[in-house]
Amino acid sequence: MTDSAAPAAPKPSSSVKLVLLGEAAVGKSSLVLRFVNNEFQPNKEPTIGAAFLTQKCQLPNRTIKFEIWDTAGQERFASLAPMYYRNAQAALVVYDVTKASSITKAKHWVAELQRQASPGIVIAFVGNKVDLCDDDAPEGEAAEGGEAEGEEDATVRKVSFKEAKAYAEEENLLFFETSAKTGHNVSEVFTAIANAIPETSLKTSRGAATGAGTQAAISAGQDGSKVNLNARGGDKPQEGCAC
Amino acid sequence: METLDNTEWDVVISGTGLPQSLLALALSRSGKKVLHIDHNDYYGGDEAAFSLTEAEGWARKHSNSTSEQSVFSKAAVRTLEVNDAVKSKLGTPRAYSFALAPQLIYTRSNLLQALVSSRTHSQLDFQAVGSWFAVVNDQNDPDAAPRLIRVPSGREDVFRDATLDLRAKRSLMRFIRFVGSYDEDGEREKWVQFREQPVHSCLRDQFSLPDAAIEALLALALPPYANIEPTMATVVPRVRQHLQSIGVFGAGFAAVLPKWGGLAEIAQVACRACAVGGGVYVLGKGITNATKSEVGVTLELSPGEKIKTQWLVGCSKDLPTSGSYTSDLKDNSGAIAKRVAVISSPLTSLFPPTSEGGPLPAGAVVVAKSATSPRATVQILAHSSESGECPTGQCVLYATSTGSDGLDVIDEAISSLLRSIGEEPVPDILWRMDYVQTSHDQSDNGLSVDGPIVTLPSLSIDAVYEDKLLNSTKEVWQMITGGSEGAFMKFEPREGIDEDEADDG
Repeated sequence: MTDSAAPAAPKPSSSVKLVLLGEAAVGKSSLVLRFVNNEFQPNKEPTIGAAFLTQKCQLPNRTIKFEIWDTAGQERFASLAPMYYRNAQAALVVYDVTKASSITKAKHWVAELQRQASPGIVIAFVGNKVDLCDDDAPEGEAAEGGEAEGEEDATVRKVSFKEAKAYAEEENLLFFETSAKTGHNVSEVFTAIANAIPETSLKTSRGAATGAGTQAAISAGQDGSKVNLNARGGDKPQEGCAC
Repeated sequence: METLDNTEWDVVISGTGLPQSLLALALSRSGKKVLHIDHNDYYGGDEAAFSLTEAEGWARKHSNSTSEQSVFSKAAVRTLEVNDAVKSKLGTPRAYSFALAPQLIYTRSNLLQALVSSRTHSQLDFQAVGSWFAVVNDQNDPDAAPRLIRVPSGREDVFRDATLDLRAKRSLMRFIRFVGSYDEDGEREKWVQFREQPVHSCLRDQFSLPDAAIEALLALALPPYANIEPTMATVVPRVRQHLQSIGVFGAGFAAVLPKWGGLAEIAQVACRACAVGGGVYVLGKGITNATKSEVGVTLELSPGEKIKTQWLVGCSKDLPTSGSYTSDLKDNSGAIAKRVAVISSPLTSLFPPTSEGGPLPAGAVVVAKSATSPRATVQILAHSSESGECPTGQCVLYATSTGSDGLDVIDEAISSLLRSIGEEPVPDILWRMDYVQTSHDQSDNGLSVDGPIVTLPSLSIDAVYEDKLLNSTKEVWQMITGGSEGAFMKFEPREGIDEDEADDG
């Protein structure tokens, strides 16, 4: 197929590995469920095991497919995260705006990512459960019952927007306050991450040897060195690999 | 950290190396309650991958002689005495990912099939190991620069090769036909007669092959103990594996490597799959004692926790010593000298395209013989920066040799290789790490079952991933789950995972 004969040429599509980090019960899984399924389970049980979900994010000029790794339920052993953030292009570090200790833990995760993860990792710093705060709940109603924990006094904000934002700016992080319950800012977080992933980290840098022409580049997909294990037999022409 | 004390498990897997991680993957959908621990504070065990800083820390820990706990010894990092302009080329520590297990995987390997049928392959990037080379020293002129010769690696290559005369080509084709059918009825008698013969004399006398062709075949076969004359029984199946693997995933290459640090990447992806299936992961936790009981095993973990499990599985050094097998392993052990070297040039000539429009190879194999002791062979796996193991403009060489002077021979071989490339100035070694790895020669498949305690065989430590590893994984998986052989590693898509057909091409 030639370029001119492609009226609905598909947008380039890339996978982005994203790891979710944060203290237990800050609403990590709820954020992902809101993003992926647009649903919210008010009394969600703590996640057992670890979850893996995917969701596409459409940008004007490309499609980002998020592969979301949720360490849920295993924060207590602190051993899953290193396996998850290895080669991750993005991290969502979540705290609970109604729980002061959770931002301390979140800052530890940021420090660990900066020390150990891929140098170019995009980090979004996210204060969840803003629906529990009277002052800026988007629907203007104080939540009752609320999420997994916090029944009575959880309606009080313990982490100020200003303080968290100042920290995020200093560390060069994306920053949002969200509510998985109402959906406030949830898709915005993922869109911001998608936009912040540098184009170069989506296409693996190629050596000088790739002057082989566009045809070769197209047939080999976005990454000129990738071997497609589904192309067994090698008898069919390689299609544009869109992963 | 929360305690594991008094918890009960169906399976406890000790160690996160490739053998244990493949079992974790196999068990990931079994519904079994799996606890996967490692006494190290990193994943991958003997198959780990390290950044530059991590590698230096690892080397300090393994600078002494072999212990019960480790197969590694004599590790040392050297940054070469070079001027600052060269030194400054070394990238940031995290720009490197050095593989303790850079083994190449033949495209027909059962491992790749299992990764596809278990749907884990989409988490991995595989790249082609393209060309095989030999570095040849001029016998008559020791001062002449060594030459880099591409080894013909398939039938087409043999026909095109300009260095072999017609007679040699005919003999080689006759041998290749034999390789394809040695275990069939017509050839069986011949094979019984040949199999224990040393390769050189057999190929010369029985197949009339010239020395150059014999060396080429040996380069393709990559026999595990390079300084011992291999038998036909070692070489012929390996040559067959090579020839039959060409073109499986695309024209012109027979083997692949996993991006980002060799087999470490596969081990981690396997562990992630088990974690997603509910497996619990705890690093920095080893087993100090294991007591068998009627219903399983009681384990003591490093900070004094006691847990119970129906099955305990690990490689021998990850399990508490039971005395019975450690002694006989020591006798059969062989040591391999290894060097990881970062080169100041991409060595582009080692990675020519395998075919028009095919994937750009990220790996190459170089076999070099020592000029001073011709028996000593060095096998070098070269990984380009495409492998994600070093910054662009550099490449990583993984060299192995056997024998007591292994490191000296490696020194000579790498220097010959760098001179044979023909780049001016000759590329530098920016950083290197040497170590000795002791292999447990497994005459049987290495799997040992002591009631509920199962010892997995370790990965063979030579240049090629061997299929027998996954066969023992399957055996253990069947033992634990009672599953049928045909169901091993065959998984349906997980609920909630959007598996887009277009994504996999």
